[in-house]
Amino acid sequence: MAEILKVKGLVKRYKELIAIDHLDMSIREGEIFGLLGPNGSGKSTTINCILSLLEYDKGEIEIFGKPMSPKAYEIKRQIGIVPQDVAVYDALTVYENIDFFCGLYIKDKETRKKYVQEAIDFVALNDFVKFKPGKLSGGLKRRLNIACGIAHKPKLVFFDEPTVAVDPQSRNKILEGIEQLRQNGATIIYTSHYMEEVEQLCDRILIIDKGHTIAEGTVDELKGMIKKSEIITIEVAGLDDETLSMVREVKNVYSVSYENNQLKVEAGSGKHNVIDIVNLLQDKGYKMKKIFSEQPTLNDVFLELTGKQLRDE
Amino acid sequence: MFKYSIIKMFRSIGGLFWMFVFPLVLMTAMHFAFDSIYSYQNSIDPMKTILITEGQGVYQEGFEDLIESLSEEGSEDQLFILEEADSLEDAKAKLAGEEAEIIFVVSDGDVEVYLQENHSITSAAVAGSIADTYKQRYQLIADAWEQDPAFAMELVNNAVENVTYTVSEEDAFGAEPNPYNWYFLSTLVMGILFMAMMGINMVGDLRADVSAVAMRYSVSPARKGQMVVTAFAARVIPGLVIVAIQLMVMKYVFGIYLGNDYLKLALFVVSAVMFAISFGVICGLCFKGNVTQRGNKATSLIMISVFLSGEMISQLPGLFERYFPIFNKINPATVLNMALFKLTIGNSAEGFFMNIAEIIGLTVVFLAIGIAVLRREKYASV
Repeated sequence: MAEILKVKGLVKRYKELIAIDHLDMSIREGEIFGLLGPNGSGKSTTINCILSLLEYDKGEIEIFGKPMSPKAYEIKRQIGIVPQDVAVYDALTVYENIDFFCGLYIKDKETRKKYVQEAIDFVALNDFVKFKPGKLSGGLKRRLNIACGIAHKPKLVFFDEPTVAVDPQSRNKILEGIEQLRQNGATIIYTSHYMEEVEQLCDRILIIDKGHTIAEGTVDELKGMIKKSEIITIEVAGLDDETLSMVREVKNVYSVSYENNQLKVEAGSGKHNVIDIVNLLQDKGYKMKKIFSEQPTLNDVFLELTGKQLRDE
Repeated sequence: MFKYSIIKMFRSIGGLFWMFVFPLVLMTAMHFAFDSIYSYQNSIDPMKTILITEGQGVYQEGFEDLIESLSEEGSEDQLFILEEADSLEDAKAKLAGEEAEIIFVVSDGDVEVYLQENHSITSAAVAGSIADTYKQRYQLIADAWEQDPAFAMELVNNAVENVTYTVSEEDAFGAEPNPYNWYFLSTLVMGILFMAMMGINMVGDLRADVSAVAMRYSVSPARKGQMVVTAFAARVIPGLVIVAIQLMVMKYVFGIYLGNDYLKLALFVVSAVMFAISFGVICGLCFKGNVTQRGNKATSLIMISVFLSGEMISQLPGLFERYFPIFNKINPATVLNMALFKLTIGNSAEGFFMNIAEIIGLTVVFLAIGIAVLRREKYASV
């Protein structure tokens, strides 16, 4: 797959503060690329630099193989943006808003009319075309925000935290829409501090903190970078110290605790961790009631790599 | 973009209120307030009056002439209907019997006024005012006669020309300069100055570090320079429409005199609207905060500017002119007011063009700065 966006050695300073510190990124055609980090980590600053909205101190940015600049109008023509804040006009209706922003890219009236209708269909706002944004719920406003950013059928779309303050139902619709956009051929850059969304949606993820790259890769690759890969919880009564010692000796296990008849085992990567422990307890004659196995999350990855929680709210 | 920018302007309730509705509401209130003053003055019915002359002399003759001129039947200035009386006692009896409302007793160097026991405020005000004015003017002329007879004659002539106790509505709202016209013109200027909101709105539309909507503009392939010009034009047109409607309401509904030179009036309106919007652009660029916060700050500034230009107290610009004249030159509301006042009332072409030159000059400077800043494609912070 062709490389759509390339960022090399990007540095952005605000006086003494280094907002982005030698950031590298490479995004391939047709993928959904996640930019994950806590609030204030530099996600939006990175996007703004890429879009030439911000001057940066150092680095190279190429989009579609060409250097990005404020006057790179041909590149801009193929870019769409869905800002973090709902960026629409309250005085215009849903249809007028989409038509207005699409008009910044598409001058031909007939083509624009068709594109606007397709965008309305895409975000399912057909019943609200004559409504002004003030009459829409938070979720519908977010969908309008998306429609305004994608109506001109861009090849590269930036979604900057599009699900902030959105109810779960609308969030799912938005995520489904983004997946649909990718299937239609768009490349997506998705920034969020919601790890579940990024994990669910993105092919590859770049985790940043304080402008630094923490890790990059697929979800599995990122999880593979940390020691902990599984937490096994077994409800079992009357475990003796000898059995607990034997559990500690099981391959990949690095932490064992037993309280209130709950055996909690943290294990590293391994396919048969649960089976190995269950077999051991059965051999010793213990009866088990409930068995849980939790896979590590991106928050665990972030926690292990940075020593702090990813979500700060 | 142009079409929707205009639609946006006309749908902006807050903007329309300050630019269009508020000035008209204020004018309507002023119209009713001032209209009643003239109705009251014009509704003075001639009052039955008895004139008693004690002795003979120039003083008595002058007063007799004045009262007779104000008793001329059918005259617009008629205030009195002269009644006969044989003596002061007879006159007082008629006053008590309500056959007369006022008695003037003129002697050498003095005028006395007698009124009915339950006299009206009007009869007291008119009779008192005429007696006092005559006494003061006679004394002034008599003093002047001793010093300079020629100057005294001039005073006599002026006194005759200036004897006016009522002002007709036509005069007040017509060609005669008067403070009431000032208030209406000043209110129109206030509405025009509130068009600065459109300039602030323009900054919000085009600066990506001020609003998220502007981010969409900046990311789009649309040329920034073109966008600035289009955005400006899309705001000037609604502005002109609004002022045109207000002027028509002023002229045809409130009967405000707007001068005879409509070409100059059009020049004023175009310059003033462009000035207000460019002033708003500068305010939008200088103030901090989001678009609403910037708008609120500009509203405060405009209100202060309008107040100091004499919207509430028409004497204020005169005071500034005497003690701090530079303030009138830098206060945008005063500059606009003076141009309009000179055009419609002052009848001073030179003064008008001086003010218009100042308005256009400031507009060019503001626009140059505004375009230079707004057409920037990148910002220091977002």
